[in-house]
Amino acid sequence: MTKTFTVALLGNPNCGKSSLFNQLTGLRQKVGNFPGITVDKKIGKFALQSGQEVSIIDFPGTYSFYPTSIDERIVVQSLSNPNDENYPDAVVYVADVTKLEKHLLLLTQLRDLGLPLILALNMADVAEQQGLEVSLGLLSKRLGVPVVMLSGRTGAGINDLKVLLEAVIAQPGAYATTQPFFTMSEQEMAVAHAARAIVPGANTYQGLLVAHHYEWLPFLSDAQRGLVKDIAEQHEFVSLRSQVDETMQRFDRFTPVVKKALKAPESQGRGMTERLDAVLTHRVFGPLIFFGLMLLVFQAIFAWAGTPMDWIEAFFTFVGDQVRSTLPAGWFTDLLTDGIIAGLGGVLVFIPQIAILFLLIAILEEVGYMARAAFMFDQVMQSFGLNGRSIVALVSGGACAIPAIMSTRTIGNWKERLITILVTPFISCSARIPVYTVLVGFVVPPKVVLGIFNLQGLAFMGLYLLGIVSALGAAYVFKLILKTRERSFLMLEMPEYRVPVARNVVLTVWEKVQSFVVEAGKVILGVSIVLWFLASYGPPGEMAAAEASARSSAEQLQMEAAERDDLIASRKIEASFAGHIGKAVEPVIRPLGYDWKIGIALITSFAAREVFVGTMATIYSIGSASDEFTVRERMAQERNPLTGAPVYNTATALSLLLFYVFAMQCMSTVAVVKRETKSWKWPAIQFAFMTGLAYLSGLLAYQLLS
Amino acid sequence: MVATVGQQNELNQAKPGLKGEVSHFSNERIGSKLMAMGVLPGSKIEYIRKAPFGGGCYVKVDNFLLGLRKAEAASIVLK
Repeated sequence: MTKTFTVALLGNPNCGKSSLFNQLTGLRQKVGNFPGITVDKKIGKFALQSGQEVSIIDFPGTYSFYPTSIDERIVVQSLSNPNDENYPDAVVYVADVTKLEKHLLLLTQLRDLGLPLILALNMADVAEQQGLEVSLGLLSKRLGVPVVMLSGRTGAGINDLKVLLEAVIAQPGAYATTQPFFTMSEQEMAVAHAARAIVPGANTYQGLLVAHHYEWLPFLSDAQRGLVKDIAEQHEFVSLRSQVDETMQRFDRFTPVVKKALKAPESQGRGMTERLDAVLTHRVFGPLIFFGLMLLVFQAIFAWAGTPMDWIEAFFTFVGDQVRSTLPAGWFTDLLTDGIIAGLGGVLVFIPQIAILFLLIAILEEVGYMARAAFMFDQVMQSFGLNGRSIVALVSGGACAIPAIMSTRTIGNWKERLITILVTPFISCSARIPVYTVLVGFVVPPKVVLGIFNLQGLAFMGLYLLGIVSALGAAYVFKLILKTRERSFLMLEMPEYRVPVARNVVLTVWEKVQSFVVEAGKVILGVSIVLWFLASYGPPGEMAAAEASARSSAEQLQMEAAERDDLIASRKIEASFAGHIGKAVEPVIRPLGYDWKIGIALITSFAAREVFVGTMATIYSIGSASDEFTVRERMAQERNPLTGAPVYNTATALSLLLFYVFAMQCMSTVAVVKRETKSWKWPAIQFAFMTGLAYLSGLLAYQLLS
Repeated sequence: MVATVGQQNELNQAKPGLKGEVSHFSNERIGSKLMAMGVLPGSKIEYIRKAPFGGGCYVKVDNFLLGLRKAEAASIVLK
């Protein structure tokens, strides 16, 4: 077997790198992590004609070796150290041929690493449409790298790239240049030579990169860091100055080459993109169109996700029933049906929402619209410590926080991304609707005011607004608390509007769904098994006693079978560990106006908020009829055994409503935040402040009103 | 820098519609990042429109379009 050859795929943002990556690898790709950092590493595999396996790493899009975001740092840390686990055998550099000049800076920097390098001129299809003529021979000769012309969208020229790769693999040395493109100053040369000695195998340019970035490069030890610092100080090396000089020199050298090798016809006036942007980024129409689009996205999620979600639920109910009727009754069957199968259903039921949201977002991204949305809202978002791109997550949070949090990966600045993740669950998601529906009737009557407004509808809107206000408020607080040395930039390139490539969209949706099911699924499944255990088991003997007493009262009252089963379920959950916990926490939640029954529902609805309704139904022995309105009727009849007053008065109901607006009652969100921040620290902090705020507001509401 | 604010020919002081050429950058850190993106001294620049909500600027540099924050636009000094 021949050794797998590792290729790094690099390029500026918007160069069409992902399209090429998807063309080459198709479904043979997986997402991993770069060591010790929250950036996804996409690795794909493909075979060449000769049977040679190639492993290709899709590095984040970057403009130069002078990074401003964590994403871009990955490129520098992997390529400046020949001993890095991701150090490639060769580099394929993707450049947009229609904007070649600005894409060549990083190419010439890569060239100076001394790695075998191929320049892939992407967007050959667009170039042809524009009548752009390229002299590949001249480019290749003057830049000192082999050049292929291809299109990641149509697949044209991909074979040429593969043929060239065969040649590179056969004779890597022939495709690596030893003559650097950039001529260092004497001072730079001295610094680079000294720094190079610290990293085994590094060349002079890699030495210079180490001198620029020693402060954060993770492969250096503290002692080595001190050493480089001394070298830099000794030579009075000023990194920023040297960066600017290097960039200028490179541009000065390749600009004439581009001018000579490319013949572009005179552009005639404003292009289609500019004309569209006159409307789409207009100061008034732009935001309006954005909200209109988001409304459509929402509508699509609600309209399309409902049916498949019902199917998934029905499927898991069916499988559970089948298993229950086939296997002998006992704890194992219960674990399988109520724990594992129900838990799996609880994970998979989110797939339609996630898939639809990402389908639409991926289309908008592919078209090029998302950059405009980020640009338009950047100013507003920045005042809350967020980023223009946060607007997408916040709006998506109205459907479901899980895909919303996953969509924050496009935010480059870690602090801005983290704040977005932390506050998104405040936005009222679709799972809160059943809870609001049950409770809002206890707070406001269904009265019509001012002729057209339903008071309950207004209350609903109020709850949503409360969610938005608290998300922005919390973001502002985090902005003041969290510290970062990472600078925040917008400088966002607005790509040309394009028809989306179906393959790219489908692969994005596939990747998101897969990572949700695998990463979040593990946690969700685990928690649902624990919750199942707490609700189905109790201290020895108590459960059996509860069932026996329920049976005898049912017999005395001559109940129907369904009524009897509801009563048994109700007594059993009271006797279970969940019931005991509910009673144990009663003193804590008493000041909020809650009794132990609500306590049980608070615990079980940590699985997902909508479980609140089902649990209340079980507790009030109406488990077989658990729709919102039956539950509400039954709750309205509930009396305090001591005072005889209704349990669900305005104060309690409002307190509960506020609790559900703020509390992070969703284990799936916890799991996704853990997955996205790669630590338990942030979900723990988030859970604490959201639940704390929920508790305080519930407390305040109940104490003021009762 | 001795020049007082507004006296220099900064991009954010201009009105949409203005066409010009980049002279230099008043902030080196922002400047180096802009240069990496292809905005260089000598680049042709056109200020196309202001962003909504009093935000940044939408500009055309040579043959590509760019969204800039106010501070980023302010560091571009025109000829």
